[in-house]
Amino acid sequence: MPDLRRKIDALAKSLENLRLHLGKRDLAIGDRRVNSQLYFALANACLRNKALLLYGGMGANKTTLVNLLGASFLGLPFEEVENLMVSGHPEQTEEKIVGFLDPRQWSRSGGEVEVLWTPWARSQWKVINEINRFPSGKQNLFLEILQKRKIGYAGKVLVPGDTCYFATMNPEFSATYPLDEALLDRISATVPAAQPDFLSGLMLSERQREVRDLATELPRFGLQEFQALPSCVAQTDLSPQVELAIVSLLKDFTLCERAPAYDKTQLSGSKPSKGLCAGCHYFGNPECLCWQGDEGLSDRARQDLREYTRALAFLLGRAGEIEVLRAVAPFVIWHRVNPVRSLLDQPPYYGARKLALVQELVEKSINRTLNERAEMNTIFSRAVDGEMSPRDAIEELSGHDDPIARLDFIPALERMR
Amino acid sequence: MKLSCFMDQAYQGNVRSRKLETRQGDLIFSLEDLAEKVGCKPSKAQVEQLVAGDEKLAIRLISAHPRKEHQLLWGYLTSIAAELSSSPLRLDGGNFAGLELSRGAIVLEEAGDRVGEGMNGGRIFVKGRAGNYLGQQMSGGGIVAGCCGDYAFRGMATGWGVILGDAGKFVGLGNLGGSIAVRGRCGERAGWLMRGGRLRVAGEAGDYLGLIMSGGEIVVCGRAGARAGWRMKGGSIVAAAYGPEAGDGALGGALRLG
Repeated sequence: MPDLRRKIDALAKSLENLRLHLGKRDLAIGDRRVNSQLYFALANACLRNKALLLYGGMGANKTTLVNLLGASFLGLPFEEVENLMVSGHPEQTEEKIVGFLDPRQWSRSGGEVEVLWTPWARSQWKVINEINRFPSGKQNLFLEILQKRKIGYAGKVLVPGDTCYFATMNPEFSATYPLDEALLDRISATVPAAQPDFLSGLMLSERQREVRDLATELPRFGLQEFQALPSCVAQTDLSPQVELAIVSLLKDFTLCERAPAYDKTQLSGSKPSKGLCAGCHYFGNPECLCWQGDEGLSDRARQDLREYTRALAFLLGRAGEIEVLRAVAPFVIWHRVNPVRSLLDQPPYYGARKLALVQELVEKSINRTLNERAEMNTIFSRAVDGEMSPRDAIEELSGHDDPIARLDFIPALERMR
Repeated sequence: MKLSCFMDQAYQGNVRSRKLETRQGDLIFSLEDLAEKVGCKPSKAQVEQLVAGDEKLAIRLISAHPRKEHQLLWGYLTSIAAELSSSPLRLDGGNFAGLELSRGAIVLEEAGDRVGEGMNGGRIFVKGRAGNYLGQQMSGGGIVAGCCGDYAFRGMATGWGVILGDAGKFVGLGNLGGSIAVRGRCGERAGWLMRGGRLRVAGEAGDYLGLIMSGGEIVVCGRAGARAGWRMKGGSIVAAAYGPEAGDGALGGALRLG
């Protein structure tokens, strides 16, 4: 089998050379700069059962890029991949999306109920185009599919196997519907798709041929190669630094002194943006993330952070190191949380640059974990390993006012006493 | 693997540590944060203490449109920002702008109510119309406005005010001092209960000019309305012409034609 990473590199180069995708190199990982839209889509193609949401205005090459990648990875003609896609509009029904009862069975006697599954349902490359044009009730269909990884209709169940999920979404327009938080949590990463810059615009003008013709010139992957990609990604190990930073990130976003069980995901109604933090001594401290966002992060975010860090590290030929996590984490987190408006509305965010604010929060958390939490983490680990008594550890940790020490480590050690 | 080994691998011997400074992180991001610390009706000194000479913070806070309960805070912040700024502070408008201003300058496109209230220094320029209570109880500094509503320069002690157009009712009510010039006309009861200072009106004045005034000087280049100087006790009124019952019941002072 050829080196799959080189083949993916060749695919990325071909997309640029054929003027099929010319995005800004807006994702810096170490000394390498790549286009986030393309590389997250490639990462998602290397993973299974993860959903990537491309978010942006019309004509930002969201759907076409995903279909081009589908054509390349599945080895299918571009038009055929386009047919695998479902598009959002209020008249879409479950029957049109996943399948319907075979009408021919009514002329036969006996036998099991037969469902004719749609190509989308059977495909392992599922694209949901303009997901926010589905009314909220119909969005629940995808919630179930993303959760169970199988599709049910009329008592029949289709298990399509390990699948790559892609969705696209426009900003709020007159015909769009808000996405449910539970569905957003099942979306693994969200990447903004921007319009091409000046130079890219000029280069795109040089494109003479139709996309479908150019798509035939992209490198093709065989089925075996496509199926081997997840195992290639799995060979990338994550460093202990990355593992520690991921768990701390989750805790930084989720812990709240005033929430039930200190868990912000259990909040309903009362939130930091609705005055929950008034008078709390963490409130207003820029080093604490707890008061800066309304939502906590679920364990799915942890899994997604690990998987996408691995996948990006694989694609860029790097180890699973902290620089990759720094680049990946904001894209995994920003659609799952809502920073408080008083922060988001201020310059340089102006109420519009949520991703930039989440990037700053992620940086703060990772830097604090790596640079300033060493002592408290070491105390906690020694107590867990039995190298010091929980009582002494609690006493030492009580000098650290860090939310993780106070709201997670100390209660855990108290249970161990 | 033991957790302590995992931590050793993660930190690789770089066990630097700094405890979270939770008591020092008292940042203010919005007027709501400020109100939470000082309440909605603080003194200027309380607000100054929290803003602590941070001009950028003051400007950031006043860039947001204040809710009704935070207008007083917003007004103090405009003064603090203008005092800290080396150039005039430019604002679109709002109530309480320049509240207790002591130095610096504010330029407003339009002004709401109570602009320049209690100011004791500095300058306020209102390009358009100012609302009611302009320069109320000011004790220094100066205000120039295109035109204004009622109660302008009420209770003024010192300082000056210029209205380029017309002024509403009750201009200079209860004034102790200072100078007011109105280039247009002014409404009724201008100089009511006036005890000192000067009021000059280039156009006409409404009824009851200098009502029960006990000091100061009023000059009206046009005609004064009915009952000018009614029951006045002191001071002087000069007008080109008077309406009926001028000087009725006057106990002192002087009413002259000029």
